[in-house]
Amino acid sequence: MSAGQVSDLGRAAGEGARALWTLALVLGAAAAMLAGLDAVPGWLRGEPRGVRRVASIYEAERVLRARLMLPSFFPDTYRWPPSSVRVRREDGGAVALAFDARDGAPALLLAETVSGTGELAAPLLPESAVIQRQSAALGEGATLSRIVSEDGTLWNELEWTGGGRRFVLRGRGPLDVLMRMARSIHGVVR
Amino acid sequence: MATARWIDFAGQSVFHTLVAALVVEALVRLWRVRQPEQRTGFRLLALAWPLLAVPILFFGFPERQGEAFEELHALFAARRWDEITFLGAGLSGWWLGGMVVLGLALFLMDLLPLLRPRRPAPPATSAGTPEGARAEKALSEAASALAMEAPAMAFLPEGPPVFYCTGTRRPTVVVSRAAVDLLDDAELRSAFAHELSHLERRDPVLGWALMGARGLLWFNPALQVLVRALARDAERVADERAAAATRDRLALASGLLKLYRASEGRYATPAGRSLPLSAALAEPIARARAHDIGLRCRALLEPPPARVGLASLRLAVLAAGLFFLLFFVV
Repeated sequence: MSAGQVSDLGRAAGEGARALWTLALVLGAAAAMLAGLDAVPGWLRGEPRGVRRVASIYEAERVLRARLMLPSFFPDTYRWPPSSVRVRREDGGAVALAFDARDGAPALLLAETVSGTGELAAPLLPESAVIQRQSAALGEGATLSRIVSEDGTLWNELEWTGGGRRFVLRGRGPLDVLMRMARSIHGVVR
Repeated sequence: MATARWIDFAGQSVFHTLVAALVVEALVRLWRVRQPEQRTGFRLLALAWPLLAVPILFFGFPERQGEAFEELHALFAARRWDEITFLGAGLSGWWLGGMVVLGLALFLMDLLPLLRPRRPAPPATSAGTPEGARAEKALSEAASALAMEAPAMAFLPEGPPVFYCTGTRRPTVVVSRAAVDLLDDAELRSAFAHELSHLERRDPVLGWALMGARGLLWFNPALQVLVRALARDAERVADERAAAATRDRLALASGLLKLYRASEGRYATPAGRSLPLSAALAEPIARARAHDIGLRCRALLEPPPARVGLASLRLAVLAAGLFFLLFFVV
């Protein structure tokens, strides 16, 4: 191969590399813009990406393709149906149901995974600070925590595993009512 | 196919074309693709997107339409914008509705003038006048410069300056006495070479094919704009081909300018009558046309643009990259 041919080859390789770099840059910028555009609706609604608000429990079951396990004991101090139903499909899927008290204030939150017993954390659960934690009589590894929510209110939180799912039940009412509700969620799929 | 699925298809068609066209245009500028034929190749890739890639992605990969794909894998899901509503409809629906209206308006603006009763094609005659004889001589010189057989010529003894080619099966160059009077011999030869270049590349057939594509995807404004850009590219390609054949870039530029100035204002009128909104659009369209003529003349005053290297490779990698990117856009 002559020196001229080597030089031509080098020039072509350099041009090809520059073209590839530019292409990667433009496609990367397009991907970033698309991802940004995709995140805007969630940002406007205050929901993180991956969490979707649906209209009803039935809609959540349809989206997650699984029946939700709900408490058979539901005191009439809470309003039915839930004030919000939020689902997350990632990591096997999970749902968070928020219920209001009769006076309209947020009073109860039930979150559960539909596949697996992994952690149920943000973004489905609102941020909170644990001030006290102890074991709860809801099976192995179950905990009862006293937590402070972002608005400074105190909640009781039960976390346990049952029926191959992880549950979190947060309530502002009496602890015995919360325990009774938790026990009424059986490990039997409806 | 259910209506909702058609709406999804239309939405993806419009959005994908928009992204593909923007990416292609950005790269055409960054890669400095100035040679009109090469630029046409890149723009054809963007045009092929709604015609080929979107149907392949939509019907060939049905799992992309599922909620699981949207929520777990999609880089962008238009349906997420439907969670924000305005007057009872999702924002994605509003956007698509606006795009459909725009696409239809752009399509009708070019279709309606075609649907008007057309005058029969002028007979292929030129004999008997000195202008006709001049035109025939210039046509024959242009044809030999392009190494092609001279097509039929229709000479219009009356009317304003016109100079165009027509016909898919029996191509004809139509020229009027006013146009011949306007141009000197070199300009006339260059203008004929330009029209013959269109015929050599079968641009009238391509024009109808593109009109068919526009009719098929009438709802897609990005495609309507792309086809217009391709039509401009076809003019630039014919300019370069004619200039290379006649070896007189200046004559073509001055001929082009003379013909444009003589016909200025005639093109805005038909569009103004075809659609209610097009009266408002007439001025910007006329301005865009003047700008386009200016660009063509400026390009002809410069040396022929150089071709970029590795064009096929660039095109192939770009197509693959776009396919990968837009696979995750639903």
